[in-house]
Amino acid sequence: MKKYNEPNILGRFGDYGGMYVSETLMPLLIDLDQSYQKIQKDKKFQKELSDLFKNYVGRPSSLHYAKNLSAYINGPKVYFKRDELNHTGAHKINNCLGQILLAKKMGKTRIIAETGAGQHGVATATVCALFGLPCHIYMGSKDIERQKPNVFRMKLLGANIIPVESGSKSLKDAMNEALRDWIKNVRDTFYIIGSTAGPHPYPKMVRDFQSVIGREAREQFLKVEKKLPDYLIACVGGGSNAMGLFYPFLNDKKVNIIGVEAAGKGPKTDQTAATMTSGTPGILHGSYSYVLQDNDGQIKEAHSISAGLDYPGVGPEHSYLKDIKRAKYYGVTDKEALSAFQLCSKLEGIIPALEPSHALAYLIKAFKNKQKGKTIILNLCGRGDKDLFTAAKAIGFDADE
Amino acid sequence: MNKLDNLPKKKILSLFMTCGFPSLSQSKKIFQEMLSHKPNIIEFGLPFSDPMADGPIIQESSKIALKSKLSTKHSLNLIKSLKKGSGNTAFVIMCYLNTIQKFGVKKFTNEIKSFVDGIIIVDLPFEEEASIKKILDKNNIHLIKLISPMTNKKRSEKLLKDAKGFVYYISATGITGSNKLDYSEINKNVSLLKKQTKTPVLVGFGIKSRKDALAISNKTKADGIIIGSALIKKYFEKNMNFKKYLSSLNKFIKQVKI
Ligand SMILES: Cc1ncc(COP(=O)(O)O)c(C=O)c1O
Repeated sequence: MKKYNEPNILGRFGDYGGMYVSETLMPLLIDLDQSYQKIQKDKKFQKELSDLFKNYVGRPSSLHYAKNLSAYINGPKVYFKRDELNHTGAHKINNCLGQILLAKKMGKTRIIAETGAGQHGVATATVCALFGLPCHIYMGSKDIERQKPNVFRMKLLGANIIPVESGSKSLKDAMNEALRDWIKNVRDTFYIIGSTAGPHPYPKMVRDFQSVIGREAREQFLKVEKKLPDYLIACVGGGSNAMGLFYPFLNDKKVNIIGVEAAGKGPKTDQTAATMTSGTPGILHGSYSYVLQDNDGQIKEAHSISAGLDYPGVGPEHSYLKDIKRAKYYGVTDKEALSAFQLCSKLEGIIPALEPSHALAYLIKAFKNKQKGKTIILNLCGRGDKDLFTAAKAIGFDADE
Repeated sequence: MNKLDNLPKKKILSLFMTCGFPSLSQSKKIFQEMLSHKPNIIEFGLPFSDPMADGPIIQESSKIALKSKLSTKHSLNLIKSLKKGSGNTAFVIMCYLNTIQKFGVKKFTNEIKSFVDGIIIVDLPFEEEASIKKILDKNNIHLIKLISPMTNKKRSEKLLKDAKGFVYYISATGITGSNKLDYSEINKNVSLLKKQTKTPVLVGFGIKSRKDALAISNKTKADGIIIGSALIKKYFEKNMNFKKYLSSLNKFIKQVKI
């Protein structure tokens, strides 16, 4: 098979992706795309980014052999790619650093972002503090309620948080508002999108900045195991941590790739965020990809206990990988994720975020007493601090004073 | 025949309204009121759950319309029912791409070709339009071009090469219903567009009053105006009293018809 080379110059992964935005934004996206192409070849830019990765984020993140969990599963050998050890507690910072350096290069003076779990908001607020740029974060009021620690973090970092009351009051609506802000403030504003979603060039650009995860993991794994892993597993909201891990392995045909989506109360219920298991192709936030929609193309509200996965769309590259069968996607319910969250904490001494808890839940469910002798890398892309209140409530523990 | 090919030379008036707002039956009365003023164009907005280029007023109207379980088919039937007796008023649909995509582009075109003259697809830029434009062209439905203050000269030249019906000039960066109008900037940009195309150029986004309508006509080279949010806003200003709303609409449209 030929080498993987998506997207094309119009931002197409097969049929998916593209640039479905109003004419006010179009010239900006073209400008962004050209600027992004330039910095990819700019050695100084790349050096600046890798220095920040090393000294500010603490990269490379470690590859940890999860011995106890592996023993519990009694199946494959499980490694965690520990991006939860990054500064700010998740993979989101990788992308934010790349984009803010680009914003600086383009002479932009104002930063906006959307956030769901607040991890991308915190990472954006962090890089804005570091580079001294004003930062405005759009966040659904429902998410503000369930991710309070991150709201406070963003405020400490100097960001202005704009609550979004429209629609489902979560990530999708925050993104609508951020896009509206951008349409209004086109001249000075840079929009740091937090996932591999949105119009071209974002899905490609965010993937590229996040693929440091997969490059490191590949090298680290080869060093300890002297071979490539049999499986990669990552959770998929918009799909950035997953693409970050998957991308450097796409040409390694023997490596099986699995994306895990949030199925909320169940993939057959109306309360799900499992876009690729329950959705159909459509257009949301500027790109063509799987979305949760009704027969008239109205976008449905997603549901997940994890604010970071509570999104009715998904990055276009995942839709493509699903259709060409290079990756497989499965849904995991709130309940399954919650028990994996607790199990991982007890077995490995690592409290994961609710997002990667979905990946963990799938791993436990699908590999228990199976595939002995095989190996897996799971992207542990975020830590659970932000979820303590949500999890305590769901588990029935009184976390208040 | 396409009514958009026979627009007058000056003072073109295009009125936008969300379909199914506030309810399907009331929506019909609103459009009938609008039609009674014989505007040159009526733009029928198909409500979408995630209208990313629209401001709070059109968002709210879409939300209200969708709450009553309005389907695409309901909207299209409504538009069709208004066709008889619409005189010289051209019918234009304004929508987001997903609505058409989900309906099926060919099926949608077939459905509307007997009563619609043009279509504005807010989130379908030039780069993505080819396959859809081909189908619309074949059925004599004009795909209306949007130009914004961010569109540079070279790009507008490319976009306007085969403009048909009218050109929608977005008066300022921003979402619908926002903005102050800067007439000299509008005039500068519209004058340039007028050199690039013979198709009438209409100015939309942020036109709220007779004063605005007169100023666009007197101070710029634009061929007409588009009014949307200002028409819908009256509904909320009248505390959603439908009867009062209809009479205020009547008054307002008379004022902006210059
Ligand atoms: C820890 C963590 N993982 C995953 C996600 C989901 O995003 P993505 O699919 O882009 O990685 C989020 C989003 O907020 C997150 O905070």
